Amino acid sequence: MSVGSLIATGFAAVLTPTGIFLMLVGVAVGIVFGALPGLSATMAIALFLPVTYAMASTDAMTLLMALFIGAISGGLISAILLHIPGTPSSVATCFDGHPMVKKGQAAKALGIGVVFSFLGTIFSTVLLMFLSPQIAKVAINFGPYEFFSIAIFSLTMIATLSSGNMIKGIIAGVIGFMFSTVGTDPIEATARFTFGNTNLKGGFDMLAVMVGLFAVGEIIAAAETSHHKDEEVVTQPSMKGIKGFGFTMKEFAGQWWNALRSALIGMGIGILPGIGGGTSNMLAYTVAKNSDKHPEEFGTGRIDGVVASETANNATIGGAMVPLLTLGIPGDTTTAMLLGALTLHGLTPGPLLFQNQADIVYGIFAAMLVCSVIMLFMEFFGLRVFVKLLTIPKYILLPCVFVLCTIGAYALKNNMSQVIACLIFGAIGFAFKKFGVPTTPFILGFILGPLAEVNYRRGLMRTGGSFVPFLTSPISAVFLLIAVGVVVTYLLRSLMGKKREA
Amino acid sequence: MSFKKCRDLVLGVVMLALSVAYTVYARQIKTRPKLTPSYASARIIPTLLGVVLGVLSILLILQGIRKLRAAGEVQGEKMSRVDLLSVTLTFAAMVLYIVLLPNLGFILSTIIFLFLQITILAPTEKRNLLLFAVIAVVFTALVFVAFRIGLSQLLPRGPIEALLGF
Repeated sequence: MSVGSLIATGFAAVLTPTGIFLMLVGVAVGIVFGALPGLSATMAIALFLPVTYAMASTDAMTLLMALFIGAISGGLISAILLHIPGTPSSVATCFDGHPMVKKGQAAKALGIGVVFSFLGTIFSTVLLMFLSPQIAKVAINFGPYEFFSIAIFSLTMIATLSSGNMIKGIIAGVIGFMFSTVGTDPIEATARFTFGNTNLKGGFDMLAVMVGLFAVGEIIAAAETSHHKDEEVVTQPSMKGIKGFGFTMKEFAGQWWNALRSALIGMGIGILPGIGGGTSNMLAYTVAKNSDKHPEEFGTGRIDGVVASETANNATIGGAMVPLLTLGIPGDTTTAMLLGALTLHGLTPGPLLFQNQADIVYGIFAAMLVCSVIMLFMEFFGLRVFVKLLTIPKYILLPCVFVLCTIGAYALKNNMSQVIACLIFGAIGFAFKKFGVPTTPFILGFILGPLAEVNYRRGLMRTGGSFVPFLTSPISAVFLLIAVGVVVTYLLRSLMGKKREA
Repeated sequence: MSFKKCRDLVLGVVMLALSVAYTVYARQIKTRPKLTPSYASARIIPTLLGVVLGVLSILLILQGIRKLRAAGEVQGEKMSRVDLLSVTLTFAAMVLYIVLLPNLGFILSTIIFLFLQITILAPTEKRNLLLFAVIAVVFTALVFVAFRIGLSQLLPRGPIEALLGF
């Protein structure tokens, strides 16, 4: 099938009455999750997974992509109006978004945020549509050596980049890897670390681990501060006398280079494993500030700041989907959730997906495009409703979220085993937080660990015990080299930093 | 001494213990030497992981000691008694919920859990038990209808479910 007809099939699969309904609901709920500080895109997807169990795969992915896109852009509402980022992806949006509100330009700030979120998503989705089939074509020839090296590369990137403390980052990754070894060995079929418990034979379920670590752990952590008085005052923006999205064509045109640069930064960061929207918005903001003629004006309510941050964080979505779809490698926690969802529906992301289930891949692309349009209008014109929802107290919201987590975990096996696992991982997640251990490397160690292990052992069995082919396969060698490079640079930099301090 | 100051040391010691226990178990994993050579056996990666974690935990212990020696008291965010109580009660409520679920069924245990948990988390001056009870019942009903009826998802059964005929 040609690309054109594939795209057309994708749209046809998504633009059904059910599909449109799911996208409307998904984007709306996503925006709410994004806007509420403490709830994230990962949590939104986790909570809605049980809803998708009974759905067709295309419908399920449509709903989850709608949640993803809604949640990443929803963060701008609280960033601009409350000066609190709804998700880490919108931290830099606060810097200039909130000063604009103080200057009485709330509607303009929101309008710019929403429109450039939209453009960022569209840009990265279109790029994703052209890039990923090409990457999949190359990746289809990958064997154990390449997959092992890519898994190791991703793990190294995640452990070093996602935390300020490399030792703790790597420890988190190793523990995640260790948890993945529980269960039946994938090659020899012997029991590992099951301690005679039959529930452990199948290993820990990826979704129970993630829901526990992210949703339940967050709820326990929130219990700590729920007694503190919050003095958030939500300003209802005035929409009187606002035409269109609140800014002029001239202002829009003046941002094209800033937007394009930020979109490219967002896309690139999304493709790299370990760093996601939380980094890309800051980086794009810094670049915009440093390349401006008047960097001192940033932070006082320049639209450039909002444009950079919001374009970049939404462009990260398309970027993050590239390794997920083409290699089956998630780069952050949200795409790890999506990997879990795909697996649940019997789909294996990776190069073969493009061959065997191209309809689903193009359905995802189409859903991303349609959802951005829905997000654009819903977020701007339904703003008053979302702002109202920001006033729901957390002490009511979080217990309800926990009930939904429990249903999701129960539904995995229709018994209590995964619910118990979920709570245990919730406690681990809370302990991690208290000890300053990042959770992202844990999850990716848990997911990428088995990939690395199986391919390492298969590779060695193929070569009769020699590691040399891992280094002579060019793609494998490049990834291993970068991994070593990242660790060495990090070590050198931390050593130099210490000397300077002394 | 604040918790934040010695947490690396504590974490390092816990991790070291974990790595020793893990490695000991890893050496006892059954392998099939006839099927797979020893360099690709089921033990190889777990052993490696255990050793790597051991090395990392020693590094973390050293880093923790260095931090402790560093001059000056770090102004750590100490957990106040109220916060600690709130975290403990929250966790206890979650455990209770999981114990109740298979025995009382979804509807009854969820209402109890929601009511307890909202009351635990709400600031004292906002405590409105009647409102919390109403929220608990309404939310439980909504979720039950949405999942059990709307999505035909199985939920733990109990007396109320039996009464309703599910």
